[in-house]
Amino acid sequence: MGLLDVILRRGVRAPARAKDDELFDDDFQKKLDVLSLVSRRVFSGKSRAERRTKKSGSGVEFKDHRDYVEGDDLRYLDWSIYQRFGKLQTRLYEEEEDLSVYVLLDTSTSMGFGDGEKLRQGKRIAAALAYVALANLDRVGVLAVRDAVNRTMQPTRGKQRIFRVFEFLRPLAADGVTELGPALRAFAAQQKRRGLAVLVSDLYDPRGFEEGINALRYAKFEVLVIHLCDAREQRPALHGDVRLYDCESGEEREVTVTPKVLARFAEAYRAYGDDIARFCKSKQVTYVSADVATPFDELVLRVFRSGGFLR
Amino acid sequence: MIFSGLPLSQVLAIAGAAGAAIVVLYLLKMRRRAVAVPFSRIWDRVLKDEDATSLISRLKRLLSLLLQLALLALLLLALGDPRLSAALVTGRSIVVLVDCSASMQSTDVAPSRLEAARGRAREMARGLSGSDRMLIAQMDAATTPLSTLTSDTTELMAALDKIAPTEARADFPRALRFATDTLRGHEKAEIIVLSDGALGPAHDALGDVHVGDTKVSWVKLGERGDNAGITQFSVRRYPLDKSRYEVMIEVTNTHDQPKEIELSLLGDGDLVDVTKLRLGPNERLPRFYPNLSGASRALEARLRNADGSRDDLPADDVAFALLPERRRVRVQAVTVGNTYLDAALLLDEYLDVKTVAPSAYPAPGKFDVTIFDGVAPKRVDAGHALYLAPRGEHSPVKLGKELREFGFDQWDKKSPLLRWMLLDTIGVDEGSELLAEPGDRAVASYTDDSGKKRAILVDGKRDGARFVALGFDPRRSDIVLRVAWPLFLLNVINELVEEDTRYISSFSTGEVWKIPAPSGLSSLEVTTPSGAVARVAVQEGRAALLGQRAGVYQVRAPGVETAFAANLSSVDESTISPPAELVVDSKPSGPPSAFTVGVRRELWLYLLAAAVLLSLLEWLTYHRRVTV
Repeated sequence: MGLLDVILRRGVRAPARAKDDELFDDDFQKKLDVLSLVSRRVFSGKSRAERRTKKSGSGVEFKDHRDYVEGDDLRYLDWSIYQRFGKLQTRLYEEEEDLSVYVLLDTSTSMGFGDGEKLRQGKRIAAALAYVALANLDRVGVLAVRDAVNRTMQPTRGKQRIFRVFEFLRPLAADGVTELGPALRAFAAQQKRRGLAVLVSDLYDPRGFEEGINALRYAKFEVLVIHLCDAREQRPALHGDVRLYDCESGEEREVTVTPKVLARFAEAYRAYGDDIARFCKSKQVTYVSADVATPFDELVLRVFRSGGFLR
Repeated sequence: MIFSGLPLSQVLAIAGAAGAAIVVLYLLKMRRRAVAVPFSRIWDRVLKDEDATSLISRLKRLLSLLLQLALLALLLLALGDPRLSAALVTGRSIVVLVDCSASMQSTDVAPSRLEAARGRAREMARGLSGSDRMLIAQMDAATTPLSTLTSDTTELMAALDKIAPTEARADFPRALRFATDTLRGHEKAEIIVLSDGALGPAHDALGDVHVGDTKVSWVKLGERGDNAGITQFSVRRYPLDKSRYEVMIEVTNTHDQPKEIELSLLGDGDLVDVTKLRLGPNERLPRFYPNLSGASRALEARLRNADGSRDDLPADDVAFALLPERRRVRVQAVTVGNTYLDAALLLDEYLDVKTVAPSAYPAPGKFDVTIFDGVAPKRVDAGHALYLAPRGEHSPVKLGKELREFGFDQWDKKSPLLRWMLLDTIGVDEGSELLAEPGDRAVASYTDDSGKKRAILVDGKRDGARFVALGFDPRRSDIVLRVAWPLFLLNVINELVEEDTRYISSFSTGEVWKIPAPSGLSSLEVTTPSGAVARVAVQEGRAALLGQRAGVYQVRAPGVETAFAANLSSVDESTISPPAELVVDSKPSGPPSAFTVGVRRELWLYLLAAAVLLSLLEWLTYHRRVTV
């Protein structure tokens, strides 16, 4: 920041704030409407807001029988079974309930690295998915996570609530260290209702990206991983003798950066992404790699096509 | 190999300190640039592979260190200024005398002879071999060394840039003596004269200049001698009519062909006269302009070819002269009545005369000169005085023997008191001898029958004021019937008020001028024609200044504001035709020895070049990541 910038109070953060303010403008909301329509067309014929759950309940679709116990609703007794076998059996129906969608946005420092485009893209994707889910009558909760659940927007329902989502996402800033394992375990413990957990993160977790994903899996959530990538991080503009320090942990490493080293780093970066994809595939976790340079609506469509969000 | 720069001990000391500093800096961990990365774990994978090549990396750093040390070694060697022993033996010592006299402003060699000399001197400086040394000196009325005896081309070039033309003659013998003294004891000594050869003989008051074994070379500059110049320019006011003046101009054609010229005279900037003249080969023509009027102060003479073109030397085509200042003189005449005195004082309209009787002395007011006619009262004013036949106790000189029927037998013919006067036929009936006191001067005297000289006109000073005493009453002689009488009175008054009616010739450039200064001053401020101001010390009523520029000089001091003119006025300098040869010490000067631009033999240059090359190599390897 130059002296002139200081005098004129032109901070480097000002453009970023401006970008945050314009994050959910009219244009963005129009795109969300389009996405909502597109999602209905692409997945037409499939049930909407009628997701079958593993619970038995008072739905219309038969699921199983069980022995009658005192207190069961006599309306559900299967009189034909009683007539044929002389046993009182109660008919169980699949309970129909609205789906709970949890959008977990990583807000650690690394998400704001550079010009903060990863966090902005993460916010856009989170808002878009929340809107589509709300439009489909699902319950949507949004959470900011880093080493713990930092902020929570309680699950809500109805298309008009999208503005609450916007209000929740807008002030989120990148700060703190990434520890997805403890954070997502805490999330799972807090949420009684299971559902779809959408993790939007760069997955720069020093403890390993697996811990966080497994925490969701083990808690019986359906997991969708949206891996935010920035191609500029794969090819950093470095040369010469430098002392690298981790923007979150502050760990330092001395490196003499040469073109050869940069090529090796790019390879290691790619391998890290491949490891995540391989892990998710092996654990039947839906994985979508999202480059920040790709328009968010195109990314959301890719999420739809992956099948992890809409069924 | 000889080290002529820093001593070896100093070089080694610097080498030790600087080498140690470089090594310590390399041993110290380099402070690296801190750069943030979003996730350092990915770099860990890269750095595992990097460790395998760390040995090579260290070796590369060592190469960088060695490069730095080599760089230091080269710079230190350069500081030592190593020279090949053979190169030192064969060096020449050269003094280049660049003629900056007026004739070097001739334009027959474009743009001028002086610029051509400067160009030749530059070629010589560039062509010095590694062990040659050269000194540049400006030769004009004085000799000014502009550099040391050096082989440093930069210093020599800077010295040549300082060379400036003058409008004076060159003092060749003085320059030769300077060069000879400078080169005394040097091997392969050589004096190179860059000149048009208008230098005169190498002979001065000390005799012929002997240069011994020193070789004298001459680079001849100039091709022809097409020139005419003003060689004299004088002016005077008429004694009895100071509003009118007379001018004498001498023009000289120094060319061997006849010339037609146009001579213009300007007074206070206005044209007074234009004359076309035809001059034969090498002809000097004086020309008088009598009874001129109109100008009050400055006169200027200009010369050009009749067809309007300029000759090869414009410096002598203009000359300046200043008329003496005219001012009114207040005169008090203390007399009982003297018709001859009153009549003579009426002749000069610039005299304000107040006549008073001796009993009414002093008249009210201040007076420059008081004339006491036959009386000598006690002085109550401080002005100068003329006593005619003084008598009484307050006479400035005692009266001696009474004289009868006498005349002027001896007189000081150079005295301004008696200028233009014919005295030997003047007869005096009676008078008295004047007894001059020590410090007084007997200007005229009479030799009596016994052969003893009797002073009859005395000039002296009393109580800080000058006086002139005449030993007889003018009416007791026939002087009042002659033209000598008013001349005497006006001469005395002019002398006492220091007003000059002689021919005023301007100063000649190239000489030490002795500028008259009022008594009591310790210094004068002189402004040259170029506008430069110099403070000149005054000694014995004269300020000595070596002037080398023609034009009008302004003189200022407390209570003094005057001016004088200076002109080239030299037939020798106006003769610009180069001679066939330049003879010094009875030997004709030959051409200078060879100067060829070649490889210099100062090794430090090559060492410095190698250091720069290594530095470039280091830069390249660093930025190509070879040594990092």
